Amino acid sequence: MADIVASNVSIDIPIYDMASNSLRKMLLGRVGGNFASEGSHVIIHALKDVSFEANAGDRIGLIGGNGSGKTTLLRVLSGVYPPTRGSIEVHGRISPMLDTQLGMSMDATGIENIRMCGVLWGLAREEIEAGIDDVASFTELGEYLKVPVRTYSAGMRLRLAFAIATLRHPDILLLDEVIGVGDAAFFGRAYKRLQGLIERSRILFVASHTNKILEDLCTKLLWLHQGSLVAFAGVHEVLDAYTRDGPDVARERFRQAPSAAPAPV
Amino acid sequence: MEYSKSQLQSFGGDIYLGVKASEIWTILGWNDIRQRYRRSTIGPFWITLSTGILIVGLGFIYSHIFKTTIETYLPYLALGFIVWGFISTVTNETCGAFLDSEHILKQIRIPFSVFVLRVIWRNFIVFLHTIVLFVPISIVFGIVPGWTSLLALPGLLLVVLNQFWLGTILAVFSARFRDVPQMVAAVTQVAIFATPIMWPVSALGDHTFVADINPLHHMIDIVRAPLLGEVPGALSWLVALGLNAVNMLLAVALLQRASKRLVYWL
Repeated sequence: MADIVASNVSIDIPIYDMASNSLRKMLLGRVGGNFASEGSHVIIHALKDVSFEANAGDRIGLIGGNGSGKTTLLRVLSGVYPPTRGSIEVHGRISPMLDTQLGMSMDATGIENIRMCGVLWGLAREEIEAGIDDVASFTELGEYLKVPVRTYSAGMRLRLAFAIATLRHPDILLLDEVIGVGDAAFFGRAYKRLQGLIERSRILFVASHTNKILEDLCTKLLWLHQGSLVAFAGVHEVLDAYTRDGPDVARERFRQAPSAAPAPV
Repeated sequence: MEYSKSQLQSFGGDIYLGVKASEIWTILGWNDIRQRYRRSTIGPFWITLSTGILIVGLGFIYSHIFKTTIETYLPYLALGFIVWGFISTVTNETCGAFLDSEHILKQIRIPFSVFVLRVIWRNFIVFLHTIVLFVPISIVFGIVPGWTSLLALPGLLLVVLNQFWLGTILAVFSARFRDVPQMVAAVTQVAIFATPIMWPVSALGDHTFVADINPLHHMIDIVRAPLLGEVPGALSWLVALGLNAVNMLLAVALLQRASKRLVYWL
């Protein structure tokens, strides 16, 4: 059985404007004014009928323009967005690193943040205590860990957040462009740490706009366009099509030959 | 800790798992307190101090207005005010339990009830900082604790539990309807005057039914009366138990129904 099975996943996100997000509309509607027609709010179809499977060893890159549904798909995988229609099965420990600064408190010290964010990331107390030294040496923050995070520079904050988020070793790792952290020297170390984490994980999903990162980290690419799946195949097949064809042309071609789309010379 | 979808969406599953995840809501709740009083010398004891000043000030003035002795009035006012403070603050703050944690809720799937418990926990810490005022008050006014006082514990438990159910209901509704927090604020603002907190029930004369039909009066009295050496009336216990039962069912059912949509409302 596959570790992840998505079957016809659709996500509709209701957008309530000021009036319809309030009781007024409901009440007035009942009273009989002509303000409200029930269900008049806007719905965004963030994902449409997305189906795929992922197995141990898969390193899957998500590509597509802004608003194509990459982050939404990561949220579906992390479990926070229950599918409106369709279903998703995910087996294993997940670390959804959509924002590494999850739960970080500006007024708390570095150490306090390690303890607090560590709990949110799902670490046991012993794992956190054991990880404090690791975070300290990796971030090179030293004595800074004893002062409130608000005194940190933006780069220092990112370092700390990244170190905490990567303390846990998940089965399934979800990344959303988190690799752009800090200065060049730190970037190299962060990238190495991330690669270590990826190697120990069973499945990786990474949303990125950087081809280099996708080529380095991934074995497959999943191309989303306006919430629909265009292609799910090998990195180079999809990247070629992505840079060359429009989504409609590509979708047709990948549908005809799902496993190996013809690579024109 | 990994939560299974079926467990989270089962009847009462979210609340069961949320209560169990105490390491999350205790640390978040503590951090809220620390954040509020960071760099202040006496920290949360400011609440103790300000509540103390208020009680003493009001106690002197109102005992004259109501023509009662300060020995009976001030302890009554203090306890009513402290319990009311817990109830009203929790009621208001639980409205924002999910709204204020949107960032976390949109990234990791942990039980929703964790965020209600976080609000309850931080306000329970505040409550402990104010209820200590009863120690000097009982010494000054010679209130000797007896076995009856212990009844305040089950009373307090019922109050806290009820705030959890009610808070869950309010948090769900507030996420969907943004007028709810404002409505709750308006109601709680008035409620302190309509409830026997600053005035004794006896001030109602022949109209004590006004207190009897006010559920807030009963919730406060099951904590206040035992500490003043009186056994709360059967009606108060019944109301407290009844409210808990109804709110529990509502909270569990509502949370289960909303759990598949809640994040989309934030």
